[in-house]
Amino acid sequence: MTATMEQRSPAESTKLASLPARLRALADSRPGDIALREKEFGIWQETTYQEFWHEVQAAGMALWQLGVRPGDKVAIHSENRKAWVIADLAAQAIQAVSVGLYATNPTAEVAYLLQHSEAKVLIAEDQEQVDKALEVESLPDLEKIIYVEPRGVRAYTDARLMSWSAFMGAGESALADDPHRVNGLVDTIDPEETATLVYTSGTTGAPKGAMLSHRNLTWASESAEDLIAAGGLPKGQPQLLSYLPLCHVFGRLYDVCGALAMGSCVNFAESIETVVADLAEIQPTYFPAPPRIWEKMHALVNIRMSDASLLKKAMYKVFLNTGMKSADRLLATGSRGFVGGIVHQIGYLAVFRSLQRKLGMQRCKQATSGAAPIAPEVIKFFLAIGIPLYEGWGMTETTALGTGNLPGSARLGTIGTPVNGDVQIRLGDDGEILIKSPGIFKGYFKNPEATAETIDEDGWMHTGDIAEYDDEFLRIVDRKKDIIITAGGKNVSPSEIENKLKVSPFIKEAMVIGDRRKYLTALIGIELDTVSNWAQRKGITFTTYRDLSEKPEVIELIQKQVDTANEYFARVETVKKFALIPKELDHEEGELTATQKLKRKVLVDRFSDLIEQMY
Amino acid sequence: MRGRPALFTRYEADSAMLPTITQRVWLAIGLVAVIGAAVWLPRDWLILIATAFIAAIGVIGLNLVTGYAGQVSLGHAFFLGVGAYAGAAFGGEATEKLVGMGLDVIFWLPLAGLTAGFIGAAIAPIAVRLRGLYLAFLTLGLVFLGEHIFREWESVTGGPGIGRKPGVLRLAGWRFDLDGQIAGYSVTREQQIYWLTLLVLIIMAFAAKNIVRSRIGRAFAAVRDRDIAAEVMGIDLTRYKVLAFGVSSFYAGVAGGLLFTVTGFVNTNSFNLLLSFTYIAMVVIGGAASITGSIMGAAFLTLLPRIIDGAGGVLPFLEVGSTGLLSTSQLERIVFGALIIGFLIFEPLGLNGIWMRLRNYWKAWPFSY
Repeated sequence: MTATMEQRSPAESTKLASLPARLRALADSRPGDIALREKEFGIWQETTYQEFWHEVQAAGMALWQLGVRPGDKVAIHSENRKAWVIADLAAQAIQAVSVGLYATNPTAEVAYLLQHSEAKVLIAEDQEQVDKALEVESLPDLEKIIYVEPRGVRAYTDARLMSWSAFMGAGESALADDPHRVNGLVDTIDPEETATLVYTSGTTGAPKGAMLSHRNLTWASESAEDLIAAGGLPKGQPQLLSYLPLCHVFGRLYDVCGALAMGSCVNFAESIETVVADLAEIQPTYFPAPPRIWEKMHALVNIRMSDASLLKKAMYKVFLNTGMKSADRLLATGSRGFVGGIVHQIGYLAVFRSLQRKLGMQRCKQATSGAAPIAPEVIKFFLAIGIPLYEGWGMTETTALGTGNLPGSARLGTIGTPVNGDVQIRLGDDGEILIKSPGIFKGYFKNPEATAETIDEDGWMHTGDIAEYDDEFLRIVDRKKDIIITAGGKNVSPSEIENKLKVSPFIKEAMVIGDRRKYLTALIGIELDTVSNWAQRKGITFTTYRDLSEKPEVIELIQKQVDTANEYFARVETVKKFALIPKELDHEEGELTATQKLKRKVLVDRFSDLIEQMY
Repeated sequence: MRGRPALFTRYEADSAMLPTITQRVWLAIGLVAVIGAAVWLPRDWLILIATAFIAAIGVIGLNLVTGYAGQVSLGHAFFLGVGAYAGAAFGGEATEKLVGMGLDVIFWLPLAGLTAGFIGAAIAPIAVRLRGLYLAFLTLGLVFLGEHIFREWESVTGGPGIGRKPGVLRLAGWRFDLDGQIAGYSVTREQQIYWLTLLVLIIMAFAAKNIVRSRIGRAFAAVRDRDIAAEVMGIDLTRYKVLAFGVSSFYAGVAGGLLFTVTGFVNTNSFNLLLSFTYIAMVVIGGAASITGSIMGAAFLTLLPRIIDGAGGVLPFLEVGSTGLLSTSQLERIVFGALIIGFLIFEPLGLNGIWMRLRNYWKAWPFSY
């Protein structure tokens, strides 16, 4: 596939000026390849590229019949599923704009997003999402709500409701009557027009809708191919597991842009709860995940191994140690070396092969951590057990691509180097990363002030991330607005400390506090699974999360984790005191964003008593 | 899907007995080894192993009714007897005193099974009303009833002390129970019996495996685990108990029909309580509710006397000639009893349980669960 991309003539590439055009090209060149798989009653149902493109055209015609015209917004409020990508590409195909909503968005946010985006049609997954939309009182632009799962919605009487099957049926007959309309619209797509609105999750303030153009997406698609496949191409068709929310650019980069670049097969996870099982079934070729997933996987292996029998434990320890050593070499030189390679192969056969299979990573050519900073220890652990995990950096506003570590060009703790020659990066006076690339977004929808603040007159985008150079590698210090200045005047990066804390399998959330204070403290949320497992083995009885958090033994346990993390830092950067958060943080209650990032202001307000007690 | 064994795009693949190529290859290697072993095994071992194959068929039958459907049956010896005599009547030679139809084995063996199966199904409605200990006693009664009938019905059984020959292993003029030549190679009687019984075992085991993983098998398990709950879920108790006894008796009939072709003679007092207990022991030692366990249990207990015999020359306290503490047959009985007690206490899941544990140890690698 790489070869065919290089050989593409200029005339041909104008035909690929949008993602729907790319899908059409794939449907022509490899009609029988499986494009999508979705699990239904325990069996993965397959859709070929030909059927995929056909359904996209039908959905496009259906939208057109509903009165959606170029520039109109089509909102999609669903977990990842086949209907999501079909609706997304159908909207883009008829030159409309798709807008993704997180399935976890509470009603208030749904109201804001639907109103702000002026969505004309909403594709809602099921009764839950339909209810959220129906609860919103003033939606003057919304004309139709298409629900995918009819269960529970059949009896609803709202005139705007329409089922997905009726929608697709109407599209099919419209397509039969007018088979060339969608094709014609795809041919005349202006690459500079907005293809999709991606709302940033908004750790501060209201979400902003980043307008990504067709050119942004096709550039990401082209770049993703080289980047995603840096670890090598598989023998057969690449397999992807779609579980990262498609309304976030990270998920979109892989499951739509990357998939269409490589002709991959995208497998939709049944739900977020079944990702572990789905992973083991799909064994994806490329796997993107935020640090939280990697931390959780790391914790899972640790806990399970500590429960393993003696022989298993001993073998694991031996090969993990050798793996750690050869991982250092791998990072430094790009290879494990002759002896290291042989030892790693033995370890692979003895332990790591079945371990990788259990994690669903046996066929993984390249794993990526992104969307938030990850602790270097975690990356090294995965390299040691033979999973090629590298960290990348990008933002919604850069169409997910910025910099990345790649095999042979990686350094732990950095975000690597620019992903390709199209990306220019320089550091501002305060160390802020400034970036220029074909992936830079058009601007925030209906928010020219914010756009002007982000993109300066020379076209440099101000990312808000403070970084420094480590040779040619970029090292992120922190988000500009998160940096803590202690009462002593010392600049401290909280995320570095928080990540060090989160390396412990017992810590799920950590928020370092200390802005204009004498010393640093932290709010810590325990990881329920691992701490309750630990408590069971210690014979500590407990009832709820809160009860467990308040056990003196647990506080002592976390104190040990904090002490371990403190060893890495200078005295002013150590966490002097901490408090355990008495509840699990939740998106619904506004403590986390849809992508599970901390909303620091909310937490500071909500737990002000806990914080004040520490000072 | 190739390279992704857990990814199923069709229900056929999801429910396949041997989903991966590796499993198929190993099964093929195992089969070739078992079939090929007949070429170099000595005659007495061939007969012994063939007996184990036949016993395995009977044990699978008992396991279906007792292990899967949970209906304790001590009457298995009776059904083995019915099969043996039905086989003799359909497939044996007629004499002036004895009934014999002289059918080919392909006819008389299923008929032997069906006869036993029908009798089993006919008795089952009584069993449906009983549970546990009471059912055990009822089936115990069958054995005594059977012993009486076998003694008295001389035109079929030959009567006590006289007996009769079993059904003849004949197919389209070819005799399996005589040495012969196949394509220029001479094959012994024992080799032929070994292969024939192996073939029947494979067919019967495969069928049983499919029964237990189908709707019927799940209904059996539901009846076993709690009959009232099963009935609440819509499982017709009578129907499935009758089915369990019928199928189980069919297996016993087939096993009974074959069992005495190996020795060439059926005696009326063979079908006693001890035979029933031996089969129960095979189920317990092999592993209740397991087809593989049934085969392992049958093989283990059939080969045990031979192994103890072999120990005769090695263990100092065993009788050689007329000196020593124990005779080998005494030791055999002691070991038999000790094994049952040992398995019930330490390994209630039987040999199959040991196998499963071993397998899970490797399956979970490098974790422990």
